Order: sequence, then C-alpha cells, then structure tokens
Amino acid sequence: MIAGLGLLVGIVLGLLLRPEVPLWLEPYLPIAVVAALDAVFGALRAFLDGIFDDKVFVVSFVSNVLIAALIVYLGDKLGVGGQLSTGVIVVLGIRIFSNVAAIRRHIFHA
Amino acid sequence: MQADQGSGTTSRATAPTEPADTSAPPQVRMGLLDYVTATSMDEDYAHVAERAQKDPARKPVRPGVAALVAMGLFGLLAVTAAVQTARNASDVAQGRESLVAQVQRRNAQVDTRRDRIEELRTDVDSLQSRFLEATVRGRALSSRLTRLSVRAGTVPVTGPGVKVVVDDAPGATGPQEQVLDEDLQKLVNALWGSGAEAISINGQRLSNLSAIRVAGSAITVNFKSLAPPYTVLAVGNPDTIPGRFVDTTHGQDWLTLQSTYGLQFRMTSEESLRLPAVNQPNLRFATPGTAR
Repeated sequence: MIAGLGLLVGIVLGLLLRPEVPLWLEPYLPIAVVAALDAVFGALRAFLDGIFDDKVFVVSFVSNVLIAALIVYLGDKLGVGGQLSTGVIVVLGIRIFSNVAAIRRHIFHA
Repeated sequence: MQADQGSGTTSRATAPTEPADTSAPPQVRMGLLDYVTATSMDEDYAHVAERAQKDPARKPVRPGVAALVAMGLFGLLAVTAAVQTARNASDVAQGRESLVAQVQRRNAQVDTRRDRIEELRTDVDSLQSRFLEATVRGRALSSRLTRLSVRAGTVPVTGPGVKVVVDDAPGATGPQEQVLDEDLQKLVNALWGSGAEAISINGQRLSNLSAIRVAGSAITVNFKSLAPPYTVLAVGNPDTIPGRFVDTTHGQDWLTLQSTYGLQFRMTSEESLRLPAVNQPNLRFATPGTAR
C-alpha cells in the first residue's frame, strides 16, 4: 500500500521534473533500473512470504543499483562492458523471473 | 557465461557421488544457474526473519517510510531512464533527418552544377565554331575538328551500319558459355577491322580512351557497368561490314564461339543508327607536341 504510493509519487516526480541525466551516467541507468526491479520483486516476494523488512529492502535496493552500475563501469574501463552488461542482465533476469513465479504462486495459490 | 554453465553442469553431475560434502558453500554444490534460481530472493530477509522469531518481542515489520522512499526512488529511476531513452531516440532521428536533408541539398547542388557545365560546354562549342567560321583557315580547321571528333567519339553521330546483338548461351553454366570482356573486345576489334567508323556498346560510345574490361561480375565500358544482352552498334557500310567481318581473325573466333559454345550472335544491317557522344574527360597531362 505504502510502497505503491511511493512508486506513484516517484513516477509523478520523474514525469514532472524530467531530470537531465549527465552524459557519463547515461550508460548505467538502464542496468540500474533492472537491478532496482530485481530488488523490488524480491521485496514483494518477501512481503508475501511475511518476512519483509524495511532495512533489508533499502540495503538490497541501494546495493543492487550501485553494484550493477559498478560492474558495468568496470567492464567499460576494461573493454568488456557489453559482455558484462549481458551477464548482469541475465543473472538479474533469472532472479526476477523466479521471484515473479513465487509471487504468482502466492497470489493464485497455485 | 558458457564457462560458468559448464562448471555448473559438471558439479551437478558429480553431486550424487559425493553428497556428503556439506562444508562447501551452496554455490559450489549446486551449480550457478540452480544457485541463482534458489537464492533469487535476498537471503537477508530470511536471516532477519529468523532472528525475529528467536526474539519474540519483535513484531513483523510493515513497509514504512524507508520502503516508501526506496519505491519512490525506483519510480524516479525508471521514469528517468524511459524519458532519457525517448529523448535519445528523437535525437538520433533528428540527426538522421538532418543528414538526409544535407545529402539531398548537395545532390541538388551537384545537379545544377552539372547542368551549368553542360551549358558552358555548348557555349564554348558555339563560340569556337563562330570564331572558326570567320576565316577560311578557320573553316578548314573546323571541318577537320568535326572529322576528328567523330573519330574520337566526342560528338554524336548518325549513319547506316550494322547492329550486333550478342548474349550468353541459353542456360549458361560456366564462363565459357558467357560473353566475356575479351569476347566483346574481339567483336569490337573485328568491327573496327571491317570498316566501322563509330561503335557503341549498350549506348556507351567507344572513344580513343574507352576500355572494355571486367569489374566484379560485370563488363564495364567507359566505367559504366553493362548487363547482357550486349547491343553493339557500328556505323559503316552495311553492305561490306558483314562480309569483311567473317574474314577477320576475331570474326572467325566469334563464329567458333557461336557454333561450339552456343553464344548468341545476330548481326543485322540498319538504315540509320544514332550513336551518342562519349562524355570525354578533359585531357590533363597530354599536350600537343611535335613528333620528334
């Protein structure tokens, strides 16, 4: 409930402010979004499991975003940015899918 | 990724033989993909929940302000990324459009300049002929110039002649059954040898600087690629050219090509042929000089 409110506020803020992203940050934004998505779905699953915790969520959210961006940054510096991005996306994608599967089981009891 | 998957399958394959090794961390025992799937939710939630169970004073935490802020951040991040992507896409499209516009502008410029060149060239020609017509010597020069221009191919010509249409053998498979550049060269040489005064191949007039050669898979004349069938127009005496043609060595070669490999060859007499001028480049290095 409160999380949905936060999401709504964030979206509205983003649409209203339309923040200008500095050029050096631009390549890391999409991967950061995917990492954040992973943290959000993990949190939703934990919430449905009844073990949600604010602190864990915030920590996992921030660390996910930062580490994903850091890996891509390192990859860019080493010349394997594309491959590392793919690796990160694959791992996060698998996690998102299995989290969503667990959430689905919770909601539909199937 | 492949290497990781490979090691994952090996460890899974060996797992049944040595299941007792519980001291190894789970990512070693399970294989990477299984491990990622199994720990898709952050383990910290479970840890914290476990601790909370041991400590009955703690209640399960409902999402609070921190979750609100984090979710807000997430929304902001996602929207920003989407907005940025849309913005970049429009930038790319704009760049493309401006490039296309530039290309079109330049093309138009080239066209007008080409027209201007053509205009100036006719001006030069008319001025030249006017100047030459003024004197007797000039008139002699002028007629000589015309004669030479016909030979050099820089003016269009009309006149009677023969039309030769050649093509690959029907259902040609190998180069032997196709019309090659050297076949065309032989044909043209045979026509010159039988009294042709001006020749064009598929609308490309042959000048003293023309080359018939292969570039890639096509035969080019005057740097223009031609496609079969090849229509060779030769201005000359239509009564004598066919007879003299078969007497030349290359004419004989062509008859052999026709009978042995099935290349198509048809020569017809024409009342009136119209041959275009060659777009002769200006001579930049050769200047008139004395023979000795």
